[in-house]
Amino acid sequence: MRMFSTDHKVIGLQYAFTSLAFLLLGFLLILLLRWHLAWPAAPIPVVGGLLGDRNTANGILLPEFYTQLGAMHGTIMVFLAVVPLAVGAFGNYLIPLMIGAPDMAFPRLNMLSYWLYLAGGLVMIAGFFLPAGAASSGWTSYPPLADFASAGQTIWLAGMFLLITSSLVGSINSIVTIVQLRAPGLTWMRLPFFIWAQLVTAFLLLLAFPPLQAAAVLQLMDRLAGTSFFLPTGLVVSGQVLPVSGGGSPVLWQHLFWFLAHPEVYVLILPGLGIVAEVIANTTRRPLWGYKAMVGSALFMGLMSFLVWAHHMFLTGMGPTMSAFFQVTTMIISVPSVVIVSSLLLSLYGGSIRFTVPGLFALAFLPMFGIGGLTGLPLGLAASDIPLHDTYYVIGHFHYVVAPGTLFALFAGIYYWFPKVTGRSLNTVLGHVHFWGSLIGMNGIFMPMFLQGLAGLNRRLYDGGRTYQHFAGFEGSFRGQAWAAVFLGVVQIAFIVNLVWSLRRARQSAANPWEATTLEWATTSPPPHDNFAAPPVVCRGPYDYNVPGAAAEFLPQNQP
Amino acid sequence: MIPYTIERRPDTGVTNVTMGVWLFLASEVMLFGALFSAYTLLRVSAPQWPHGRELLALGIGMFNTLILLGATTAVWRARQSQRLGPLAIASVLAFVFLALKSVEYTGELARGLRPAVSTFLAMYYTLTGFHAAHVAGGIIANLWIIAGAKRTGAAMTAGRLHAVSLYWTFVDVIWMIVFVLLYLS
Repeated sequence: MRMFSTDHKVIGLQYAFTSLAFLLLGFLLILLLRWHLAWPAAPIPVVGGLLGDRNTANGILLPEFYTQLGAMHGTIMVFLAVVPLAVGAFGNYLIPLMIGAPDMAFPRLNMLSYWLYLAGGLVMIAGFFLPAGAASSGWTSYPPLADFASAGQTIWLAGMFLLITSSLVGSINSIVTIVQLRAPGLTWMRLPFFIWAQLVTAFLLLLAFPPLQAAAVLQLMDRLAGTSFFLPTGLVVSGQVLPVSGGGSPVLWQHLFWFLAHPEVYVLILPGLGIVAEVIANTTRRPLWGYKAMVGSALFMGLMSFLVWAHHMFLTGMGPTMSAFFQVTTMIISVPSVVIVSSLLLSLYGGSIRFTVPGLFALAFLPMFGIGGLTGLPLGLAASDIPLHDTYYVIGHFHYVVAPGTLFALFAGIYYWFPKVTGRSLNTVLGHVHFWGSLIGMNGIFMPMFLQGLAGLNRRLYDGGRTYQHFAGFEGSFRGQAWAAVFLGVVQIAFIVNLVWSLRRARQSAANPWEATTLEWATTSPPPHDNFAAPPVVCRGPYDYNVPGAAAEFLPQNQP
Repeated sequence: MIPYTIERRPDTGVTNVTMGVWLFLASEVMLFGALFSAYTLLRVSAPQWPHGRELLALGIGMFNTLILLGATTAVWRARQSQRLGPLAIASVLAFVFLALKSVEYTGELARGLRPAVSTFLAMYYTLTGFHAAHVAGGIIANLWIIAGAKRTGAAMTAGRLHAVSLYWTFVDVIWMIVFVLLYLS
């Protein structure tokens, strides 16, 4: 396996290992923070003394470091871990295999995309080694705060510029590959739902990310050239009127940022839905219920996701007319999500479900994503959003979407396609430990957030909000969350051991261990350099399981 | 081998490169769209907005517009005649554009017109800077095609000429908008 390879499978694995490493780093950062929130006056055990005098005093996190942890956790998880794993790793590895192509359309651009991603990630992380630490203005980098933050913010913007370039190159590659390189006979309505999800995701990345790139350059100009794109006239900082030309608008940044970051939410969830759809069809041994409605919903969701961004901004006072528009679009976009999840749920009805490890992760995804989605509805309406905004309720909501939602889908995908990638199967017992432990751990962390948020506890506070009277009674829940986070971390050891051990030692798996129908199983495991010995010809839809009157229980797509 | 790098896919009617460049241009529309939106929002909320034609070097700007249009015409000539000579001329013209642009910048900075002075100037440096970066990128693409022509063969070069001709046209369209918003306002 060459380091600078143009093979989509090698690049996919590079993305996978890099993003899993970032996922672990993002988790460890927030583990420190959760422990601090539970015992703000006590030193962090074991590592408290190792973090340096700049970041800790007697093993207790300093406020400056606390804000860095929060900002970098969000940045790493969204931009360096989940999206690269869902799009870079799964997309790269599986798109050509599932459409019967020898590689991505532009292999060298594909390689460029990975190395730009790695460079962008390392540049951002390097912020921790600057004299004043990493970016600390939240993953949203709102000005005016971000305009004056320490040099870590400049590094953050530079890293973001590289990441956006990487995602631009990658998304062009995915779209061209899916449109141009489909095998003969693989018509649009014979595409696996996973491919549809990746296609819509790539369009979102292609069209939503460039405005953030523009915004990042504007913020760099503010920081380095002294301009006032995001600084209003007469802004007072530390009792002094700032000596800048003024005339800028902090809300402009919010518009540009959320124009990316709302579609980004669907970038986070759509590949997850795609993976879950594949695993559910396979594990229930039935065709997906409402495949065409799901495809239509994914397309509609992609389109609508460009029209809802300002529901993150009800608190900016943009006025009732704007609020009304964005409330309506927000309620509309919940419809396609519900169509997709309902279709997946109905697909279970009457199936003979095989409770495999990927199957369990995919099944748990449905209620977990359901909780995340439904708790989002009150946030889409200005009247209920205004009291809930900036409380732990919001954190609980989007973590249910991304952590036991998307991450469970990604875990399902890892267990499901591991035999394809390595020719070996992951251990089932360790898989069960990982699944049940993660399910309990994640719910233990995120469920209390809804109660804390409804009680009015603000997020981001250094002491968790202990100076306020409404904190009373929540001491125990913060400690429970800290222990749940530790438990979640311990359980992941089972996953890491499983990955490392199975890579070398596990027994060889069958060529098609899940008895799946889609094209990636029509070649050997692991696949050779050009994927298929002869280009496959597709004769049927993607989910021909238990077709009435057919000779076999399942019919691969390339079987006449 | 990866199919449809040179021949068109029958049901979509395009090659991979053509499709890729159109998608790239779509993302570029979003990039400049965001910048133009920022310009609009800041301009309508500003109490006063300077006249660009009084601050900036309108003469050089007009001349540069012609240079840029000349460069793109040469790229189209290269695409139609399938020769690389016009592409080299286009690259030289584009380089002249950048040289004149830096003359403009030097003059403005000498007169104290730094980006920090006003939102108009901040927008001026940002928009023209983004555009100049695209011109520089186009020159690199041109030189890359010329350098690789022998190795890749005529069919591949034709596809690449097609792609850069679309790109240069886009760079011109952006310049027209930038020119109107900054120099003629």
